[in-house]
Amino acid sequence: MNVLSVAVAITVGVVVLVGYFFPVPVLSGLRVTLVQWAMLLAAVAVFLGVFNLLSVHMEKIRRRQKGAIYGGVLVVSLLVTFLAGLVLGPEHALMRVLFDGVIFPVEASLMAVLAVTLLYAGARLLRHRSDWMAVAFLGTALFLLVTAAPLPGMGEIPILGDLVRPFVTQVLATAGARGILLGVALGTLTTGLRVLIGSDRPYGEK
Amino acid sequence: MAFSMEFLSGALSFLLTLLVLSYLIGDNPLFRLATYTFVGVSAGYVAAVAWHYVLWPELFLPLLSGALQARLLLLPPLVLAILLLARLLPPLEKAGRIPLAFLAGVAAAVAVGGAVTGTLLPQARAVLIPFDVRSVITTGASPLERLFEGAVALVGVVSALVYFHFGARRQKEGNVRRSRINRLVAWVGRLFIAVTFGALFAGVYAAALTALIERLMFLWTFLRSF
Repeated sequence: MNVLSVAVAITVGVVVLVGYFFPVPVLSGLRVTLVQWAMLLAAVAVFLGVFNLLSVHMEKIRRRQKGAIYGGVLVVSLLVTFLAGLVLGPEHALMRVLFDGVIFPVEASLMAVLAVTLLYAGARLLRHRSDWMAVAFLGTALFLLVTAAPLPGMGEIPILGDLVRPFVTQVLATAGARGILLGVALGTLTTGLRVLIGSDRPYGEK
Repeated sequence: MAFSMEFLSGALSFLLTLLVLSYLIGDNPLFRLATYTFVGVSAGYVAAVAWHYVLWPELFLPLLSGALQARLLLLPPLVLAILLLARLLPPLEKAGRIPLAFLAGVAAAVAVGGAVTGTLLPQARAVLIPFDVRSVITTGASPLERLFEGAVALVGVVSALVYFHFGARRQKEGNVRRSRINRLVAWVGRLFIAVTFGALFAGVYAAALTALIERLMFLWTFLRSF
């Protein structure tokens, strides 16, 4: 089984990668088919994840652990939404109510809470770590927030608003972001290649 | 009916917004109730969407009523899906590694392809654009200004990459340290990264503030509708 799963990962990965870089019709067709199969498997994996979530909270309720009541709320809301979605379909008015009445407001409210927690985190950062990096981080954030819009009674701050701000966002911040992106891409490339040569086996092999 | 559905949605939204915003006075059972409801509804919604938009139309419907060729083509993913579900049964858990290996292989190949063509090449090209004086002139920008900006950006990109390089040598005293030049360039890189995260922080903070204003406006509008 070990050899088989490593062989599957390497073969499938190499075929998809070769099909990606060499646009030969046969290889491209094979790549598209394999990616579609992976998409179907990912959808099945969603069900596996949801089942795992359910079983963890059912166990919590069965053992009457601390916070089991919240687990009960989660199980009921999950089952009601899933069954309603399965029978009525995601486009049904009831599903729209669940989306507009639960998912959207909670997401937006969590984002709103972030406005206060971020402010608190910024103040804590300066209190606990007042080195050059913390000053550069908070100084940039404060400067960009202050110059984001014309100030009441003052309008746009000369030089800072039209000269320094674009330099900070389009040159300094973009350069750092490019460095991070290139670093992440190099890391992804290395990890991906390690999986493709069988050196890393994230599917459970030793 | 339309009104009642709209009212139900608004009332749920009002209640859950209040429960989540109650976190501002500290972690409390009402906030936890809202978040657990959110996780349950989201998971159920995602599973329903996965069934209606992926599994039923792309796998089960063609298997039940498609042409013979389409059915044969969908047999391997069906077998892999069954093996994946077999992970739920401890004696068959090992068989579930094959679909996971399949997913890992495809994901690794897509990630490698995406990293090369989607990030490495375009970002490296973007760093070099300001040094192509002829194309800068065609845009009407000042070549000297663009060259200066390009040079600063090049220093930022290279130093940020050096910061992520953690290779070190053993010194004469036995300590393992980066070389002096490496440390200096990495310090400059950290500065650029701090500025980048500062800019990201400002962006996220502005978005969060907008969300807070929108939620408060919603609460006020809902209350005034009575």
